[in-house]
Amino acid sequence: MKVSIEELSRVEIITREAKVIELTENFSRFGITGMTIYDAKGCGVQLGTQEYESDKNEVPQLLSKQVIMVVLPTREVDSFIEFVEKSLYTGHIGDGKIFVTPVTNAIRVRTGEEGTDALKEGTLD
Amino acid sequence: MVEKKIGLGSVIATGVGLVVASSCLLSLGIGAGSIGTPFIITMTIACIVNILTLLSVAELNSLMPNLTGGLAQFSLAGVGPFITIICMVGGYLLCNSLAGSVEGAVFGNTFSTMFSDYNIPSWVFTAVLVTFLMITNLNGVDVFIKVQDFVAYALIASLAIMGILGMLGIGTGEIVSQPAVVASDFKSVTGLCGLAFFLFVGGEYVIPLTKNCKNSKRDIPLGMILSMLIILVMQIFMVLGFKNYTQWDELAASTTPQILYGRMLLGPLGRYWMLVVTLLAAISSVNTIMNSLSYILMGMSKIELLPVFFQKTNKKGAPYVGIVLEAVFFLFFNITGLSSTDSISFMIAVLAILWMISYIVTNVDVLLLRRRLPNAPRNFKLPFGAMVPVLAILGSVYMIYSIDPSMEVKLSLYKIVGVTIAVLAIYSFLWIKLRVKKPLFKPYAIKEVMAMENELYLEYHKKAS
Repeated sequence: MKVSIEELSRVEIITREAKVIELTENFSRFGITGMTIYDAKGCGVQLGTQEYESDKNEVPQLLSKQVIMVVLPTREVDSFIEFVEKSLYTGHIGDGKIFVTPVTNAIRVRTGEEGTDALKEGTLD
Repeated sequence: MVEKKIGLGSVIATGVGLVVASSCLLSLGIGAGSIGTPFIITMTIACIVNILTLLSVAELNSLMPNLTGGLAQFSLAGVGPFITIICMVGGYLLCNSLAGSVEGAVFGNTFSTMFSDYNIPSWVFTAVLVTFLMITNLNGVDVFIKVQDFVAYALIASLAIMGILGMLGIGTGEIVSQPAVVASDFKSVTGLCGLAFFLFVGGEYVIPLTKNCKNSKRDIPLGMILSMLIILVMQIFMVLGFKNYTQWDELAASTTPQILYGRMLLGPLGRYWMLVVTLLAAISSVNTIMNSLSYILMGMSKIELLPVFFQKTNKKGAPYVGIVLEAVFFLFFNITGLSSTDSISFMIAVLAILWMISYIVTNVDVLLLRRRLPNAPRNFKLPFGAMVPVLAILGSVYMIYSIDPSMEVKLSLYKIVGVTIAVLAIYSFLWIKLRVKKPLFKPYAIKEVMAMENELYLEYHKKAS
């Protein structure tokens, strides 16, 4: 294993679909070379209650969301999170959640490159 | 349909258009007439304090974007319902109503200047205008909506042209030989801050443009600051023009200083030019205030800060309770005496104090929300920690303290404002205890304030109660 946890981090952003394009357009500024986006259903502490409703749901109501998963250099994480927060912020319930986890390694299957090399333009081709 | 996004230029144009009203010219005339060119220093102080507050408004706007209720909603999240109802609902509504009354008075005084031979009291003209606009608004017809931007820009362009002509001394009238300075002592210069403050109020009306702005993070704060600076420069030109063409004492006593200046600068052409522009601007302002205030009352009723009858609409969809109340208010103040410069400047001072109190609460909101939500993302955050809001609060307090050079006038102003606040406090206390049923001083969560914007909020909460 060549990569230490200080080098790479994984950030998962759960948010509304409407915000995805605006967000991803600026990813390259933070050394992000790729991304994975998938549809998801879920709820947070409000259990899917709409903000205008007076009573909280007792049974979770799953809402449609998008999850954006990116891996980026750990040194960029703080500025990236700040950018994401400001981009997603509306003040309303449902703006989203961000999860940050360390990445112990990344491997490009085709070439066997590992760590940050696996995320860059390939040098072994 | 793709909505057209606006840039910095449009933000500035709207900001200047919303702040400059015909009644501002009256403050300018009274202020400059009283102390001469040192009024420029007074205006600069008032402009700086306003800019500081507008920067605080910009930070609140980034924390609670796209709200339609403006300062009241910021305040609900900052200081809770009791102070919000006193300062923002009561004070702010009263400010706008007084501003509408003063605009009505400017219309009446301008007309009575035109027909001075007939000795018709100016309030008669105001009453005709207010009644006419009440009828059109009740019929759901906004007579001036299509031309109000044009009228505002015509007023601004006229002032800029006349100011520059006067300043350079190239008018057709005779240049007056008089000292530039009438009074320059500290007390006189700062004692007119209240009047000067009125020249710059209303910059916060730019905030709703945020959602239509191409680069709102930069353009809204910058646009507000530049609007204020442009207005300041324009007013400085006018003061320097007054010095060259109008006797200071005549200016201070005139209820229509811009028409007096127009006549002295360019003869009959200037007089009629300013007459037409002022009339149109005053009609447009009274109409805008009557129309928008009735909807603001409706909106505040929807978030349970005012009685539910403000939401009633007639067959044409007009919120008639607010419209009729506003018309009655405008008429009352004009019939009971808003025709002399003294009564109008007194009213402007009352209005300025109430408005400054609203601004103080707005700055307090910034500090409280910084403490409560230090890490919430703010697309615009004031630099230098608490310095800007604290300076804005101190500036506003100082301007309230030095609202008038005369102690007697000052005390009677404080008395009126004090009684107004006491009455509003009783209403606020009873309303919250009996109707809202929430703690008086507990701020609303931002998510709740944001949720109140949704039209379904009231429906769901009505069902629940």
